[in-house]
Amino acid sequence: MKKYYFYLLAFVFFSSCSSFLDVEPRTSISGDQVINDETSAKAALNGVYAALRNYYSINYQSIAYLSGDNIEWTGSQSQIQEFINHKVNAENATLASAWNGIYKSIDRANNVIRDLTNYDKQNMSDVVKQNILGQAYAIRALNYFDLVRVWGGVPIVTVPTAKIGENMGIARSSSDQVYARVLEDLNTAEGLLSNTTDRTAFTKKTVLALKARYYLYRQDWQQAIQYANRLLSDQDYELLNPYYSFFKNDLTETKESIFELFYSANEPNPHRAQWQPQTNGGTRQWAPNAVLVKLLTTAETGGARSELIAKDNQGRWYGNLYYRDPAKDPTYIIRIAEILLIRAEASTQLGNFTQAVTDLNRIRTRAALAVRPSSSDKEQILQWIADERRLEFAFEAHRWFDLVRTDRAKQVLGIQEDFRLLLPIPYSQLLADPVLKQNPGYSR
Amino acid sequence: MKKIKHAKHILFCILFAMAFVPVDLFAQIAGEPIINATLQGKIVDSISGEPLEGVTVQLEAVTHSVKTDEKGNFHFVTGQKLPFTLALSYVGYERRKLVVNASPVLIKLQRSSDSLDEVVVVGYTTVGKKNLIGSVEKLGLKEVSSIPTGSFDAQLQGKVAGVQVSSSTGVPGEALNIRLRGATSINANNNPLYVIDGVFVNSESLQTLNTGGKATSPIADLNPSDIEYVEVLKDAEATALYGSRGANGVILITTKRGKNGQSTKIDVNLYAGRAKAAKLWELTTGPEHAELVNEYNRNIGKPEPFVSTAQGGRGLPSEQQTYDRLSEAFRSAGIYNADISLYGGSDKTTYYLGAGYNKQESILRPLAFDRASFRFNLDQKINDRLKVGASNAISRTGRNQGRAGDGPQGGILQAALHTPTYLSPYNEQGELVGRAGFDNLTLLLDNYDVGSISLRYIGNIYGEYQISPSLKFRSTFSVDYNHYDEHEYWNKFLIAGSPSGSATSAISQATTWINEQTLTYRKRLGTQHSFGLLLGNTLQSSTFSLTSATGKGFASNDFKIIGSAANTTSFQDWDKYNLASFFGRIDYGFADKYLIDFSLRADGSSKFNKGYQWGYFPALGLAWRLNKENFLQDISFINDLKIRSSYGITGNQSGINSFASRQLWSGVNGAYRGVAGMFPEQLADEKLTWEQTSQFNIGLDAALFNNRLSFAFNYYDKQTKDGLLTAVLPGTTGYDNYLNNAAEISNRGIEFTLNSTNIQQNNWTWTTAFNIARNVNTIKHLSKPMNFGSRDLILFKEGSPMYSFWVYKQLYVDSQTGDAVYEDVNGDGKITTDDRQLLGSIWPDFFGGITNNFSYKNWDLSTFLSFSVGNEIYNHNRFFGEAGGARDAARVIFRSNLDRWQQPGDITDVPRTDGINNNNYKDGGGRWLEDGSYLRFRSLSLGYNLPAAALEKLSLTKLRVYVQATNLFTWTKYTGLDPESAAGSSANEQGIDLGTPPQPRSFQLGVNLTL
Repeated sequence: MKKYYFYLLAFVFFSSCSSFLDVEPRTSISGDQVINDETSAKAALNGVYAALRNYYSINYQSIAYLSGDNIEWTGSQSQIQEFINHKVNAENATLASAWNGIYKSIDRANNVIRDLTNYDKQNMSDVVKQNILGQAYAIRALNYFDLVRVWGGVPIVTVPTAKIGENMGIARSSSDQVYARVLEDLNTAEGLLSNTTDRTAFTKKTVLALKARYYLYRQDWQQAIQYANRLLSDQDYELLNPYYSFFKNDLTETKESIFELFYSANEPNPHRAQWQPQTNGGTRQWAPNAVLVKLLTTAETGGARSELIAKDNQGRWYGNLYYRDPAKDPTYIIRIAEILLIRAEASTQLGNFTQAVTDLNRIRTRAALAVRPSSSDKEQILQWIADERRLEFAFEAHRWFDLVRTDRAKQVLGIQEDFRLLLPIPYSQLLADPVLKQNPGYSR
Repeated sequence: MKKIKHAKHILFCILFAMAFVPVDLFAQIAGEPIINATLQGKIVDSISGEPLEGVTVQLEAVTHSVKTDEKGNFHFVTGQKLPFTLALSYVGYERRKLVVNASPVLIKLQRSSDSLDEVVVVGYTTVGKKNLIGSVEKLGLKEVSSIPTGSFDAQLQGKVAGVQVSSSTGVPGEALNIRLRGATSINANNNPLYVIDGVFVNSESLQTLNTGGKATSPIADLNPSDIEYVEVLKDAEATALYGSRGANGVILITTKRGKNGQSTKIDVNLYAGRAKAAKLWELTTGPEHAELVNEYNRNIGKPEPFVSTAQGGRGLPSEQQTYDRLSEAFRSAGIYNADISLYGGSDKTTYYLGAGYNKQESILRPLAFDRASFRFNLDQKINDRLKVGASNAISRTGRNQGRAGDGPQGGILQAALHTPTYLSPYNEQGELVGRAGFDNLTLLLDNYDVGSISLRYIGNIYGEYQISPSLKFRSTFSVDYNHYDEHEYWNKFLIAGSPSGSATSAISQATTWINEQTLTYRKRLGTQHSFGLLLGNTLQSSTFSLTSATGKGFASNDFKIIGSAANTTSFQDWDKYNLASFFGRIDYGFADKYLIDFSLRADGSSKFNKGYQWGYFPALGLAWRLNKENFLQDISFINDLKIRSSYGITGNQSGINSFASRQLWSGVNGAYRGVAGMFPEQLADEKLTWEQTSQFNIGLDAALFNNRLSFAFNYYDKQTKDGLLTAVLPGTTGYDNYLNNAAEISNRGIEFTLNSTNIQQNNWTWTTAFNIARNVNTIKHLSKPMNFGSRDLILFKEGSPMYSFWVYKQLYVDSQTGDAVYEDVNGDGKITTDDRQLLGSIWPDFFGGITNNFSYKNWDLSTFLSFSVGNEIYNHNRFFGEAGGARDAARVIFRSNLDRWQQPGDITDVPRTDGINNNNYKDGGGRWLEDGSYLRFRSLSLGYNLPAAALEKLSLTKLRVYVQATNLFTWTKYTGLDPESAAGSSANEQGIDLGTPPQPRSFQLGVNLTL
């Protein structure tokens, strides 16, 4: 009798085994077809924003900040110091993280683009669909723009990775091809998005601002001015006075801002801890260097921008653009001041010096600085604009790209070799995907 | 409440009843009606004279036997006449036959010097050690309690051949890396499986707070005093029945139980002691530091910062003060232990009740560990066939924690060690300030508030039914439940709490339940054939959940509860996996001479997809007992000689994510603009399956000269294939990596264990136990090299061992220029990353330990040394401390930096200072890779046992008073504090020594008392 019980028991165990080994995850969901209504589509789009915000939180900014001549690194990791020394190795970990972070954003955008382009359910209106789709295209445009200005040509991926084996083995496109991709995505986004104002998400206006920047980088001065004008004539954007009113007093989404990344107490900005000193709960690993401190604290050059820095209890200067507790500070991506300086620079290039100096002086007046005299010396005005951009965007990710874009990086930063103006493709990527070729000049 | 009272009442009654069960009940009278003679006697230990309880006394030609009572007395009434021939047997003692002519009689029993009579638990059954086929080592309580550590497993180093325990630090109760016969996996778990009284327990820390590297050890929840013995299962024959996770070996822990027919005994153990660091880092003084910084600036053509204040400098070097922070951070730490146990049994019931409290301060302030634990083990025979029982242990482990390792915020050693000595803890306003980006040490120590409380229940109930004399069915239900409550509160004086305080509370719960059935059949056919069969199954389910909350912005330092914070965020996590297993084993022995067994276990894991879930793990074992052969019968000095061999396969799936084989979308923590977000998180290899390790073992066991010398020799060859490996995906896919079965790893080694009774006389004994082992680890297949650790210091590469150091080899310092000259491996005239090479690993050439026990009359003395030869350590502290002033005020400078090159002609290996990551102070510089070999005098204890006469007066069974010292001396060339402490935050980052407090030197005084 006992034996039969045992057999029965054994039978029960064996037969229940297959379901016993079925455990479903709770913190994640498996399978495809996850975008199936408006809520899930918006959630997927927020996933793209999260990826964009992620690479802008520290890694990409590190490259831009430290490769310029405003910021010094006080941490112990010498791989970050490499940016300041302009001897970046292919093994650099920050570079690899930024590369991976940007392509993550691209893949997430590709998921949204594929799923909404082929969307055949009737439970979402075209307006909503186009709005989400447009934002995904716009973010992807910014992603490729960020790639091309650091590395030059990169692999172009426009479909999501569905399984292992896909989206690898894609050779690098040329830098022009990548820029073409950026423009195409911007155009698509422009066509899909509506002309509303939203300072923490992409609208048609954000796309226009990106286009102004795009054409400045592409040295298409006419187009740069044209797109700049469309924003400068918009009542929703204005230069706030004094200089620090766009960030002081815990304000966010001020009229100065065209696009900033949203942060809140629940979504704190890791940027802050990099800048703030230990007494404020930060690490002050990014710190204004002596030259910048001098420029900012000297009334003739700093003006109202001296508010960008402060001193800690050991008498050390620290950057104070990102200062809130909890770290709700937005990360500033495009401000109207940039658009004004884009027009000033493009106008200079086209010989419209009066317009250029007028625009420049609006920025200077706002910063409580003496106006520049009118001039017809193109190089002089370009230098003025460059100097202005250096301080106006002291803690925003422009300086390195500006120096490279205007071909002055070697002279200003004392870089010996041309090839260092493009950073190396991360070595881990060369190993992971042998089809990738390193930028010339780098040993591996 | 009423219920509890009721339960207490019953418990009390049970205990009361047991304590007074008459002894005579056990000493049963032989069923012989005619009384011809009575025989009375007493049996004592031949050396100590202690009475032996429970010795089986059998009269030749009579089937009935009696057992001695607690005073060692026995009493026989029999129909036979004097003289009698008596057969005596007692576990741990030599069997003895003798002729008795008169009554009463005093008989001395000799302790057996070998352990051949011991019974060993292997794979759900027990076998006599002499018939053992697998490679198993057994340790008693004494061997795992000689050093005060949080968890008993820290003491296996040097005690068991082939077990490597690394990263023991001065923080009690911290996780260890234990490697048994090498390491088999890159991305799955490499720690052995822990089984306590049949419960597969969790050995992975539930810690979620970042303490800068190492986490807490869940094994520290177990009170070592409750341990009866520990077995270490090493080869495939022994571990294959544990199927999954058997690949890394199994550590079986059997806790104490009462014995049938044993009168109630009470054991009390008390000890107290102090611990102190044997050595601390040697730092430059303020003036020396300033001088080096000036020298660095001169070298690179910059102005010197340490010039007079009048010139705008920081003051001349000679004007600098020296502030000692290390002696503020380290202390003489207290160690306290008290435990009590009560045990015994009737013929139907056995019980063990134990309670203990242990408190250990770390030598590094303010870290501390304490554990309160209770255990209740009970076995009850319901009738001749049915037996039920339970094991229960509840413990509460409290810890004051802190960042003893890496991490700028809240890092104790960062604040104490890495802050330059010339910097005052005060600023000009007289306020305490942090320097060099680290916390102010005084503020930090005064305001530290990080800790955890682990509540742990480990227990099982079983029922055993003897279906027939040779067939037994057993079913158990086991639970391992761990409630782990952590908190950290950083007030506004500390960096992590600036500007207005920050608090986190996290509660994790890990539950594993296991249900297990076994059916065992054992039969002897005639005198020659013995046959055994085992069938069984287990179901295991493990669930993990975590809920945590963080609050920032407190009204003042007095508010600490997250509910009072201005901003709160929360987090939740959940995980679960199930395992189903079926196993069987068949064994056959011929004449106790030729032994063979075969086992097979099938494991199904929910971690893998259908079609890849099941792994099959067979093992075959053979043994030949040569001493049973006729040709050896005449050689009297050979007591036992056995050749054994096994081959088998074990699996591994632990340590990997429960859903690693699935494509997943996850929610974005924090989303964007307060609206939920999701993203594709994971690409998966749908064919993901078990990592498999096959192991071949051949060994020889011998016992010679009346069992006074015994040794065991093992050779093993472990090959791991389908190794679970995180494979890198090109970034263009949008993913970093995925898990697949790709690595192949080989471990080959030899082990030798020797036990010897050097002197055995009435008053004198001296025994020696020695073991030595060598393991050669090689990565057989790895398509791309993988880096781990800070500055990529560790590289895993095909053809080299795991945990190899990847550095530039410094050849010498050019005596003319003062520059370090590195080996230019590719000969391109430049020193680039391509010139980094693998120079050594954490694997020693050989390692082991030697224990000597002496006893003279009532005195006992024990010494234990362990050693490791040929392993390397990266002294990462020196990397920071020998930047020669280039790190200026950001880091301390070590005294060793004073040996730097200063002028042409200087011969030294410390180069001229030229700045961080320039030629001389490179990331990955080989100068800081050191020989980690050591010989350590790990423990010394001296005890005195009160003589029997005195014991009788005091009505005690045993009283031993002892003093003990640990880590008295360490002979090593390693310049850091402790060659065993090196560890990073992940399992693959071993051997990097950064800011770890050393294992202390400690002294204790203790008492063992038995009532």
